[in-house]
Amino acid sequence: MEILGPVLVSGLTTGALYALATLGLSLVWGVLGMLNMAHGAMLTLGGYAAYAVVTAAGWPAPAGVLAAVLAGAAAGVLIHVMIARPLVRRSPETFETSVMIATFGAAIALQNTILAVAGGQPLGQPLSLSGTARLGPLVAPWQNLLIIGVSIVLMSAVALYLARTRGGRAIRAVSQNREAAALMGVPAEAVYLRVLALSGALAGACGLLVSSLTQLSPTLGSEPMLKAFIMCVVAGLGNIPGAIVASFALAMIEALVQYHFGARWGFPVLLGIVILVLIWRPTGLFGRATVQRL
Amino acid sequence: MRALIPFAVVAVLLAALPFATDSRYVIGQAILMLFYAIVASQWNLLFGFAGVFSLAQMALFGLGGYATAMLGTYFGWNVWLGMPLGAIAVTLFSLILGLACLRVAGAYVALLTLAVTQGIFVLIVTDTDCFQMVGATCRQLTGGAVGFARFGDLGTREIFGGRNFVTANYVLVAMLFLVTMAFTAAIVRGPVGLAFRALRDNPGCAEARGVNRFQMQLLVFAASAFFTGLAGGLYAAHFQSIGPGVFSLSTLLLIIAMAVVGGVGRVWGPFVGAVLLTLADEVMREFGDYRALGLGLIIAAAIVLMPRGVLGLADAALERRKRNA
Repeated sequence: MEILGPVLVSGLTTGALYALATLGLSLVWGVLGMLNMAHGAMLTLGGYAAYAVVTAAGWPAPAGVLAAVLAGAAAGVLIHVMIARPLVRRSPETFETSVMIATFGAAIALQNTILAVAGGQPLGQPLSLSGTARLGPLVAPWQNLLIIGVSIVLMSAVALYLARTRGGRAIRAVSQNREAAALMGVPAEAVYLRVLALSGALAGACGLLVSSLTQLSPTLGSEPMLKAFIMCVVAGLGNIPGAIVASFALAMIEALVQYHFGARWGFPVLLGIVILVLIWRPTGLFGRATVQRL
Repeated sequence: MRALIPFAVVAVLLAALPFATDSRYVIGQAILMLFYAIVASQWNLLFGFAGVFSLAQMALFGLGGYATAMLGTYFGWNVWLGMPLGAIAVTLFSLILGLACLRVAGAYVALLTLAVTQGIFVLIVTDTDCFQMVGATCRQLTGGAVGFARFGDLGTREIFGGRNFVTANYVLVAMLFLVTMAFTAAIVRGPVGLAFRALRDNPGCAEARGVNRFQMQLLVFAASAFFTGLAGGLYAAHFQSIGPGVFSLSTLLLIIAMAVVGGVGRVWGPFVGAVLLTLADEVMREFGDYRALGLGLIIAAAIVLMPRGVLGLADAALERRKRNA
């Protein structure tokens, strides 16, 4: 039982963070068919935006949260206007690979802008709670509970938005069949813009949460992004509920492996799992095989 | 015959460089550029001609270097023996990778190969168990975060002396580069290259016409691996050290950027890109911190503004002049 407590708390916390990072990535993949390599940089940007507003400008904490979300959303809009829109307009056939390379470049540029502005030294994120909570036999830091809570709220909000609103319906329609949706009068490009902004906002919030647990550094987002790739692939790219389940399940496995075999084996085991899943079920555990017409 | 013209031009240019300058810095940067050009040309063979978007090219390069370094460190093998053996090992590794990638396509190939690369990187960097003691420090089996050094060299220093050995190494790297390009051009222009392109452009149609996808996929993974691994071995032997940095995402990105800027799917595209990006990097050197930023912007801008690369732009310009004339 003493083992189970810390593993459970750490697994749930990292699972919540992974799920949040994966949600944005998976949403963009599902709707635009684009693997956004700049997702990690958007996470980093969110963390730094909150730091800048709270520590440097001295504004209250809610302003910092807002800044993180807005900065992420702005980065998403920029990626749409500067990269995704011109590329998809020019040649939809090569979009899948060209957008990966272009966002890769954008990620490097963004990461190094942050490095040039804020410097490479790690900074402490001011937005964090101290102290621990006791829940029966479980002991959990308030910060971890906050992360789990915020993630669940954000994920529920996105789920409600997708399921119940007009805008969410448009997103799902475009994701299922772009041409048909466009013929029914759904403005596909506006939907793309909205999805990238939403994904950026989620990334910004996620970056703030990640940095509150560790520290701010220009490479903050790269590890969560790699983990998010893993979750996405295990679930099947674009499958949002599957990605969230996979995030929590794999975070638990990672926490268990790290507890039993040492911290260094956590990530390699996840990578091993994703390699096996790709070979065994190329479209992911929850993915459906698609029939290709020639 | 026309295919030989760019060969002759590039060979003459490469041969002229040591006569044009005796700055060791310039020669050193040219060596690095040629290593990148070799890897980029093989990545281009895989992506530009066979349509497989792999992110494992630098891993193959790194494994070639590590194989040479480890054979030298643990078995005392001369690097001239280690390099070909390393290249063969890398080719086998790439065959396995090709098998694993058979059932996936597009972005999934990218993620699978990325997972393999990252896995190797993480396992090496986090390796802290002592394998053997070297003096007072401990060495990990994989070299750990430090890597390997002093496992033998190419022997050029003894023959040509401390002043000229860098130029001698440059000649070796340039020769490997030209052989790699000859190999690439031969494959691309031959029937196998046609099969690669058919599978890239329309896999269903190609298979219906009798192209064996299984065979061709394994062939392209093996073909693009051998010279990459050999270049990795030569890289380790030239610098007399190799560390986990070669597996990092940023080096891989630089390689991809070179191919993209020069022109993907063109035999000489990666070389042109390597020259241009090396020059751009030298110009940006004065701006210090902003070097990587500039490189990232160049990559993003290149793919958005000139998807067919510099060579594609040149083609379009030639075409326009012909039409106007």
